[in-house]
Amino acid sequence: MSMREVFDQNPNRRYIMYGGKGGLGKTTFSAATAYWLAKQGFKVLVFSVDPQASLSDIFKRDIFGKGPVEIMPNLFAQEIDADQRIREYQDEIRQKIRDMYGMTEIPEEIENYIQSVAAEPAMEESAIFDEVVDIVGSNEYDYYIYDLVPLGHALYYLSMASVYDQWIDKITGLRTEMEEYSKVANVMQRDKETEEDQILKELQFIKHRINVSSGILTDKLKTAFFFVVTPEEMIILDTKKASDLFAKFDVPLAGYIVNRVIPAELSGENIPAYLVNRMEMQTTYLKEIDEVFAGQVLARVPEFERDITGLPMIERVANEMFGGKK
Amino acid sequence: MNFKLTVSQITRTAGGFTRAFGDMVYGASVYEIVRGLHKERSHLEHLFILIVFGDIVGIPVLPPYYTLRLLPYVVPNINGWKRSLLRERDLTDLCDQEIT
Repeated sequence: MSMREVFDQNPNRRYIMYGGKGGLGKTTFSAATAYWLAKQGFKVLVFSVDPQASLSDIFKRDIFGKGPVEIMPNLFAQEIDADQRIREYQDEIRQKIRDMYGMTEIPEEIENYIQSVAAEPAMEESAIFDEVVDIVGSNEYDYYIYDLVPLGHALYYLSMASVYDQWIDKITGLRTEMEEYSKVANVMQRDKETEEDQILKELQFIKHRINVSSGILTDKLKTAFFFVVTPEEMIILDTKKASDLFAKFDVPLAGYIVNRVIPAELSGENIPAYLVNRMEMQTTYLKEIDEVFAGQVLARVPEFERDITGLPMIERVANEMFGGKK
Repeated sequence: MNFKLTVSQITRTAGGFTRAFGDMVYGASVYEIVRGLHKERSHLEHLFILIVFGDIVGIPVLPPYYTLRLLPYVVPNINGWKRSLLRERDLTDLCDQEIT
């Protein structure tokens, strides 16, 4: 099966993700897929969930923290500014406290807590994770393409969703128990009106957001997850391990794309021994990739003579992935 | 006019007696139970704040991002919670007492 067939046969898969080790070409393939889909007439948003995003570099446009930016007709790109998101979130909480209690100043201890939370190590990732819910919830696009973080981090995202879920369940249970005590006391006191527990309401809201985000990652009908692999021993081993781990999290694996394949035409030319050796090595590992990921390799993309930046180069990658114009 | 006023006074007095009698019955019967329920709820409230905002007293708690959303609702309870958590305890705590 080819990449084009995967997309043609599964039109409901609106969330597209590329996973793999760092530097293998996830951003390149995300941009190329977005480009190809936009050319087919679909409205596409490619966005980065990586705090060290590189969509700006590949599109040669500064899009960081500017919301969805139109790159060409139908193609929009977005890089989330996690710091800005955190600052807005903190301000929102401060304002809520002022409004609820008519305060002009936030108590020092509370202010210290608000500031210290921003310094937590997982804060950036969590802020991005949270913004993704708003992005995909907007439903404005036909396709959403996630420019994912490298493997370890992507697994962290997945496990974060399940940790959040368990945390929410636990404290929601506690809160529900508290609500029951209040209800019984109110009945005995013959108070007809029970005050609604705002914290319980917030917890349910948070749970909904987490479920939207993690639900997409594991939705077999709406999501396609592709692994990027290169013909090198360590990459093949790591990808195999990672795909097993992703399968455990129920991530729907759609197939593998091999990147950086040295063009076979070169072998007919007078090339240095260095390149001959590289090509022999790749031939061995390409065979291994076909065996290890049998029937799931969807495309082989060649190594290009220059780096992939700018739309003309992205178009060339898209043509290699999807086999030219329809 | 005077007669009407007297009737309304009587009604008010009777209402006061009924309420007082009701309060007496409430105090003699379920008051202790209601107090116990409120107390139990308050213990759970303190446990809840500890689980979510333990950082404030130096207990590392994860995950922090969404806890900020809950912060505004616990602002009035934080001082009481800290007093309850950090106060010294002794043998008299085994007896029922009001300090929280």
